[in-house]
Amino acid sequence: MSLLIAAFGFGLVSMSVIALAAVGFTMQFGITNMINLAYGQVMIASAFVAYYLNQARVSVWIAMLGGAAFGAVFSFVINRFVYAPFQGKGTALLGMVIVSLAVSLMISNAMLPIVGYFSVAYRERFSHLLRFGDIALSVNQIVIIGLAVAVMLAVHALLRYTRLGKAMRATAANPMLARNCGIPTNRVIDAVWLITGSLCGLAGVVAALDSDSFTIASGATFLITALAAAVLGGAGQPYGAMIGAVIIGLVTELSAAVWSPDYKQVVAFAILVLVMVLRPQGLLAKRGALAAAG
Amino acid sequence: MNTYYAANLLIFAGVDIIACLALNLQFGVSGVVNFSFIVFQAAGAYAAAVLSMPPDTAPDYSFQIYVGGYQLPFPLPWIGGAIVGGLVALPVGVVVLRRLRADYQAIALLVTSIIANTVINNARPLLNGAAGLALVPQPLDGLVNTSTNSYQYLYIGLTAISVAIVWFIAARIVNSPYGRTLRAMRENELAASALGKNPSALKMTIFVVGGAIAGLSGAILVGFLQVWAPSTWLYPETIILFAAVIVGGRGNNVGAILGALLVPVGFEEVTRLLGRMNIGPPNLIPALEWVCIGLLILGFLWFRPKGVVPEQRRVFPGAPAVEEETRWVVGKRAR
Amino acid sequence: MLGARDIHRHFEGMHAVDGVSIEIMPGRITGLIGPNGAGKSTFMAVLAGTLPASSGTIVFQGEDISRLPAYQRARRGLVRTFQLPSEFGQLTVLENLLVAAPDNRGESLLGALLGKRYWMPDETRLVAQARGLLKRFGLLPKESDYAGMLSGGQKRLVEIMRALMLRPRLLLLDEPMSGVHPSIVNELAGYLEQLRDDGVTILMVEHELHIVDRLCNPVVVMAQGKVIGRGTMGAIRQQREVVDAYLVG
Repeated sequence: MSLLIAAFGFGLVSMSVIALAAVGFTMQFGITNMINLAYGQVMIASAFVAYYLNQARVSVWIAMLGGAAFGAVFSFVINRFVYAPFQGKGTALLGMVIVSLAVSLMISNAMLPIVGYFSVAYRERFSHLLRFGDIALSVNQIVIIGLAVAVMLAVHALLRYTRLGKAMRATAANPMLARNCGIPTNRVIDAVWLITGSLCGLAGVVAALDSDSFTIASGATFLITALAAAVLGGAGQPYGAMIGAVIIGLVTELSAAVWSPDYKQVVAFAILVLVMVLRPQGLLAKRGALAAAG
Repeated sequence: MNTYYAANLLIFAGVDIIACLALNLQFGVSGVVNFSFIVFQAAGAYAAAVLSMPPDTAPDYSFQIYVGGYQLPFPLPWIGGAIVGGLVALPVGVVVLRRLRADYQAIALLVTSIIANTVINNARPLLNGAAGLALVPQPLDGLVNTSTNSYQYLYIGLTAISVAIVWFIAARIVNSPYGRTLRAMRENELAASALGKNPSALKMTIFVVGGAIAGLSGAILVGFLQVWAPSTWLYPETIILFAAVIVGGRGNNVGAILGALLVPVGFEEVTRLLGRMNIGPPNLIPALEWVCIGLLILGFLWFRPKGVVPEQRRVFPGAPAVEEETRWVVGKRAR
Repeated sequence: MLGARDIHRHFEGMHAVDGVSIEIMPGRITGLIGPNGAGKSTFMAVLAGTLPASSGTIVFQGEDISRLPAYQRARRGLVRTFQLPSEFGQLTVLENLLVAAPDNRGESLLGALLGKRYWMPDETRLVAQARGLLKRFGLLPKESDYAGMLSGGQKRLVEIMRALMLRPRLLLLDEPMSGVHPSIVNELAGYLEQLRDDGVTILMVEHELHIVDRLCNPVVVMAQGKVIGRGTMGAIRQQREVVDAYLVG
């Protein structure tokens, strides 16, 4: 029993990390109809940028911001120079999947000569362990949970209370109508990529911090876990992604405790495939609409 | 020219051609986006291996743990590889049959291949986990000494025969009314079913056929390499084959063969050549190769999505006997 | 010929079809009209089997087909066309028709593997049959054009000819005039009359009321998922409910 409670504690951390990644990912899909399979690679690239800053004696908590900034710019550039042109050309959905896979392969391989195959870790990866009954979490992990909660609230505030947020929701629901109502959809899309890109970068650093070590290969795992949470919650729905993250975070940690830690990721991947095959619209069924809670 | 080098080139070319012909049947002709393709080749390879290897209790083999070990003679392992490839297509095909948007389907299959790879990697007792299988016996090694040049020629010959058989099957399928129905289903599945075609049966059948052919390609490859591990069949391998079919030209066999020669084979050779020239650190060449594959895919999708050899328009021999103005009465023809 | 009893179709809380019962008599063109959102297209899709009915039964030529998938209904002679162009774009016009033919030995995997010698006789016969249709509908010169390159009206003709290759008993036409150039509409209407005279039964959803006037007898009116009137056009024009629902003049 205590094993389960401990697993629950890890689940809280897992869901925080996943939520940070999944929300950005799902917003990219909801507003620009792009399943960005290069997302995981951008996460890892940002994690490495933060790593180099970290090696230069910058605290990981500050380097995180560097990673976020890098993620923002990188994602923006990828959209501007690759995704948007292909979409503008009328490339079919499948074609866009192949495009983003090609981009992801290019990024991971371009990083290889620079970064190498070795796994690396941040200097702050060990931190004090705190206990709450059966739950044992490190200070890092608690900060990560807090960070995730703060970011979720910020995203909620953005979507619900700001003009940009409303414009984003309108563009997600019906881009043509939004444009006809005078919303500058192109600029909204640019903003979306910058914002979700920074979430992506942040999530990458956080995920890398939470793992003992990370390498370029971790990118694929990050991507699929985020994708799983996003699809489970309902693709394009940020609140859905949060719910999806909670579920996947808990289920994977419980499965690791009860069954085997080797298959933790397989459980997340399997959830993704099952959802896509059995209930592709996910839990919050309204597709393409960013519906604010309440 | 070094015989072993020639054998390597020709056998890999043959395997890639067979794989591309299979993928073309599934994707180019029928529109099934099988992003888990490499799993079928792997299934065939593993099957051929465990069918031809002695059991893992045998003296030289006890460092590996695996199922099977029936020491069957050629051509049974190759046939077994094809059969297993086809069988694996059945459960995976169930995913394909759902009417999903194309990109979801592609991703679901891609993730399925990653799941398969991870599971086999971790489940050591099944197929020796991450280390994979080694010392796979070569076909007909009792007949010809495998260290001679003659054996290389033999293997090249076996591969060539396999390519010919697969080409025959693929050509017959693509150039028949059956192939036409598959293409129609690719164009508009709903309209095809409104015309009496059963899309599920069509898709599943071609999926199994493609899977069997992919399995055969795996069997051929493993007999040559004598080793097979999860690292051999990671998901990017499927992407190379898709790039080949896209570059070569969708929907037609000539395009598939051309694509196989240009992409997987072409890149292998370029890598080898550049590797000899010793440019930069050892990581650089393979990494650059992948970047180039990515650029190639993007380039073709942008400039020439139909590929080098696009699907040919089919024109029928003109002005044959045309039936006089036919009038359709329910069930019979009047006048 | 076809009886639909108490068909319901709901999806996500909406009742697109709310208890519709219809009898289709052979040898006539029955019209199905109604304002937008009345559920006409949904009902057609349910009849054809493209969408499953939530409840209700459909009997076609004495057989209960309610559980049958679309392709099996087509094989029994119940064929539909679509409102949006659904030609097989990358196939030629002739190939579009050939695909539809149900009795080609080369259409199975085994048949394909047995090769040209096995299925060529069937193919030659069907090519002649298809060309006959193309000639009758005036599209023979276009036989080797990609179907995706045709005009809206031509695509519509290809769809109808495709359906005819199946020798349908009942043809379900979903807004056949939509997307067709006004100058072609009359020609298309003429073809439909010829088909009716040949004995093909037709159920047609249509918005253009003058076409319905010319071609359809009887006419069924739907609104908000229910049938609100049936009879000849003249009789329907008199019905209060129908006028209220949408007819203007």
